[in-house]
Amino acid sequence: MLVDLAGGWNPLVGRLAWSQIPYDNPILAPLFVAVVLGALMLLGLITYYGKWTYLWREWLTTVDHKKLGIMYIIIGLVMLFRGFIDGLMIRTQQAWAVGSQSSGVFGALHGYLTPFHFGQIYSAHGLIMILLAATPLLVGFMNIIVPIQIGARDMAYPYLNALGLWLTAAAGALIMISLFIGDFAHNGWFGYAPIFELQYSPGVGVDYWMWTLQLVALGTTLGGINILSTIIKMRAPGMTWGRLPIFVWASLSANVIALTSFPALQVALALVAADRYLGAHFFTAGLGGNLMLYTNLFWIWGHPEVYFVILPAFGMMSEIFPTFSEKPLFGYVTMVLASIAIAGVSWLVWLHHFFTMGAGPYVNSAFSVATMLVGIPTGVKVFNWAFTMYRGRLTFNAAMLWAIGALFLLLIGGLTGMMLAIPAINYMVHNSVFVVAHFHSMLMVIVYAIFASVIYWFPKVFGFKLDEFWAKTMFWLFSAGTALVFVPMYMLGFMGMTRRLDYVFNTAWQPYLLVMELGIVVYMFSVFAFFALLYVSIRDHAKNRVGADAWGTSRSLEWITHSPVPFYNFAVVPQINARDEAAWRRENGLEHIQPDHYDDIHMPNNTGVAIILGGLSFTLGFALTWRIWWLCLLSLIAIIALVIYRSFKGDPGYILTAAELEKMEQEAIRRASRIDGGHHLRPVRGDGWAQERADLPAAGTLYGLSSPMDHHK
Amino acid sequence: MSHGHDDPTLHPEVQMSTSRGYFLGFAISSVLMLVATFLVTSHSMPPFGLLMVISACAAIAIIAQIYFLLHIDTSEHNIWNAVALVLFMPLFLITIGLTWWMFSQLYLHTMIMPGMPAMVH
Ligand SMILES: [Cu+2]
Repeated sequence: MLVDLAGGWNPLVGRLAWSQIPYDNPILAPLFVAVVLGALMLLGLITYYGKWTYLWREWLTTVDHKKLGIMYIIIGLVMLFRGFIDGLMIRTQQAWAVGSQSSGVFGALHGYLTPFHFGQIYSAHGLIMILLAATPLLVGFMNIIVPIQIGARDMAYPYLNALGLWLTAAAGALIMISLFIGDFAHNGWFGYAPIFELQYSPGVGVDYWMWTLQLVALGTTLGGINILSTIIKMRAPGMTWGRLPIFVWASLSANVIALTSFPALQVALALVAADRYLGAHFFTAGLGGNLMLYTNLFWIWGHPEVYFVILPAFGMMSEIFPTFSEKPLFGYVTMVLASIAIAGVSWLVWLHHFFTMGAGPYVNSAFSVATMLVGIPTGVKVFNWAFTMYRGRLTFNAAMLWAIGALFLLLIGGLTGMMLAIPAINYMVHNSVFVVAHFHSMLMVIVYAIFASVIYWFPKVFGFKLDEFWAKTMFWLFSAGTALVFVPMYMLGFMGMTRRLDYVFNTAWQPYLLVMELGIVVYMFSVFAFFALLYVSIRDHAKNRVGADAWGTSRSLEWITHSPVPFYNFAVVPQINARDEAAWRRENGLEHIQPDHYDDIHMPNNTGVAIILGGLSFTLGFALTWRIWWLCLLSLIAIIALVIYRSFKGDPGYILTAAELEKMEQEAIRRASRIDGGHHLRPVRGDGWAQERADLPAAGTLYGLSSPMDHHK
Repeated sequence: MSHGHDDPTLHPEVQMSTSRGYFLGFAISSVLMLVATFLVTSHSMPPFGLLMVISACAAIAIIAQIYFLLHIDTSEHNIWNAVALVLFMPLFLITIGLTWWMFSQLYLHTMIMPGMPAMVH
C-alpha cells in the first residue's frame, strides 16, 4: 500500500464491506428495493416473451450506427431523468432548509439531506447532466444522422462505434452503482484540489467520480475519431465540402474539439489518481504541489467541452429552422466559418472559469477579451437563423417550437455569458447562483435542441411521427418550468446567494426558492407529458406513418431514403447534385425516383466483443474504485487479450446480394406508396438516383440569399 | 469498408514498422526516464539545472517516440501524420504557454519568490 487508507482493506474484496451498503439510509434503501424489483420484472418480462436472442442479436451485439445511436439516446434519456431527480432533490432541500427555524428529518439538522449527502447529489447532478446525459444524447444524434446525411452506409469503424457506446454505458453503470455501494464524490462535478485528495476525501466517492469520468472520456474520444473519419472519408459522390449539411459541419468541428481536448481531462484525472493511489502530490497544498494546476488542467478540457456539446445543438437548430421556414439556410458559408471559429476560440478562454484565482489584470483582460470574441461567431449564427426565418413560410409545429425556445435561451445565456466575461462583474457574482443560472440557460439550449431533434428525426428513424399535441404540451410545461426555476435563480444570484448551499441562512430568499420549487414540479409534469407523448405516439403509430420526406419540406440528404431507414441506409449510394439534395430533387421533380438497378453491398458483421469490453471496463473501474487489485489485474489482462484477439481476427463482413436488396427495397417502396396515397407521386425506378444531373438547374442556395420556393405548392 | 485491403498487415504504415525500431524507441525512452528519475531522487543537481536536464530528457524521449513508435516522418504514406502533428502544435503552444504565463503572473501576485525584492507596504 503506497497510501494510508482509512477503514479496512483486505486482499479479497479490497475496501468493500457490508457497512458500505447504505441500507439504513431512508432515501436510498427503498430506492434500492424498487430498482431491484424493477430490474427483476424487466428481466422476467424479457424471459417470458423469449426476447433474449432478439436483444442479443439485434441490439447488444449490433454495429449498426442507427441502433447504436438509439442506444446512446436511451442511455442519455435515462441519465437525464436521473439528473433531473437529483435536481428535484437539490431544489427541495433548498426550499425547505431555510433559516434556523426550519425543521429537519432523516438525520439532517435542516431539510431532509445531510450536508455530506447533499454534496454527493450536486456533484452527481452536474457530472451526469453534462457527460452522461447531454454528451450521449448528442453523440447519439451524430451517430444516427451524420452517416445518412453524407450518404454513407455506416460509420468508418462500426466496431469502434459499438465500443464507444459500451464504454459510455459502463461509465453510466459505474455512477449508478455508487448510489447503492459506497458514496459518490462531494467535490462538485469538476472537482476541487485539495478536497479530492485522500486525506480530505478518504472514502471511495472521489474514486467513483474519477473512473466514471475516465471511462466516458475514453468512449467519447473513440466516438469522435470515428465521426471525424466518417465525415472525411465516407461521403457519397458529389458530397463536396461545400454541400455538407450544417449539422455535419457542426459535428465535424465539435469532434475536432473532442479529439483534441479530452486527452487533457484524462491526463488531469490520471494525475489525481497518482495522488490518491500512489501517494504523489501533484495537487496537494504542500510538497511542491499546486492546487490551481488541477483547476487549470481541468478547464483546458472543460471549456472546449462546453462547445463540444453546444456546437451539435447549433447544428440541429440549423437543420430545423430551414425545414419549417421552407427556405434554405441563410448564410451557409458564414455558418460553417462560425462553427470552426467557435471551435478555435474555445481553446483560448479557459481561464474565465477561475478569474478570481488572482492572476492579475493582464491575464484576466486577455482572457476576458478572448471570451467575448466567442460572441461574434455565435452572433453570426443567431442572425443567420433569424434571417432564415425572415419572410419564410413558418410552420409552428412542436419541433419548431423547441428550436425557437433554444434560440431564446441562447440569447439569455449568451448575454449573461458576456456579463460573466467581464472580470469586474465576474468577481462580484463568482460562485453565486447567477453563474449557475447562466450555464443552465446554455445547457437548456442543448436540451431544447435535443427535444426538437427527437421530434424532427423520430419519423426518419422509426417511420412514424410523434404526437403533436403531447409534444407541444410538453414544450409549454417545460418552458414554464424553465422560467419558474431560472428567473428567480438569476435574481438570487444578484442578491448574493452562493451556489451549493445545503442550508440557506437568509429567510428573505425563501419566496424565490419556493417559486423555484414550483418550477421543478412543473418540470416534473413535463416529464409526465413526455411519457404520455411516447405512449400515445406508439399507440397511434399506424395513423402517423410517413414516407421518405416526413415533413414535406425537408432539405438534406437523409430525407431521400426510406423511413424507417433500412439497415443499409441507401440501397444504391446516391449522386449528390446540390447543397440541399432532398430539396433540390423535389424542386426538379426527382423526389419519387428510385434506383433502377441494384448491386451487391458489403456490410459489417455484428460482434459481441464491444459489449464484453464494456463489461470488463466497468469491472476494472469498480475494482479500481474499491482497490481490489487482483480483479483490476484480471480485468485489465482480459481487456488487452480481447483487444489483441479482435485485432487479429478482424471482420471480413458479409455480402448482401442484389436480389435480397431488391426484395427489401420493393417492400419498402410498396409500403411508402401505401402511406403517401396520392399525396406524393408514386415512386418509380429510373435513372437520376445515382447519376449526376448537370442538365438540371442548381438550387439557388448560394449564401442562402435567393429562394426558389415560389413555385412550390 | 474498403475492399481489397482485407489484410491490415499489407498497409504501408504497418510494413514500415520493424521490431528493431520499436525496441530502440522503447530502450531510448526507458533509459531517459531512468536517468531523469535518478537525477531527481539523488538531488545531485541544483533545482534550475535539474529542471533543464529533465526537460531535455523529456524532449529527446518525445522525439524518439514520435520517430520510432509512431513512425511520424515525411515519407509519402506518413506525411498525413506529420501534418496532423504540425496542426496540433498550436494547441501545445497555447495550453503550455498560456498556463506558464498565468501562473507566473499568479506567483508574482501571491507568492514570495526567492530573489524577489521585498514587498512595499
Ligand atoms: Cu468556459
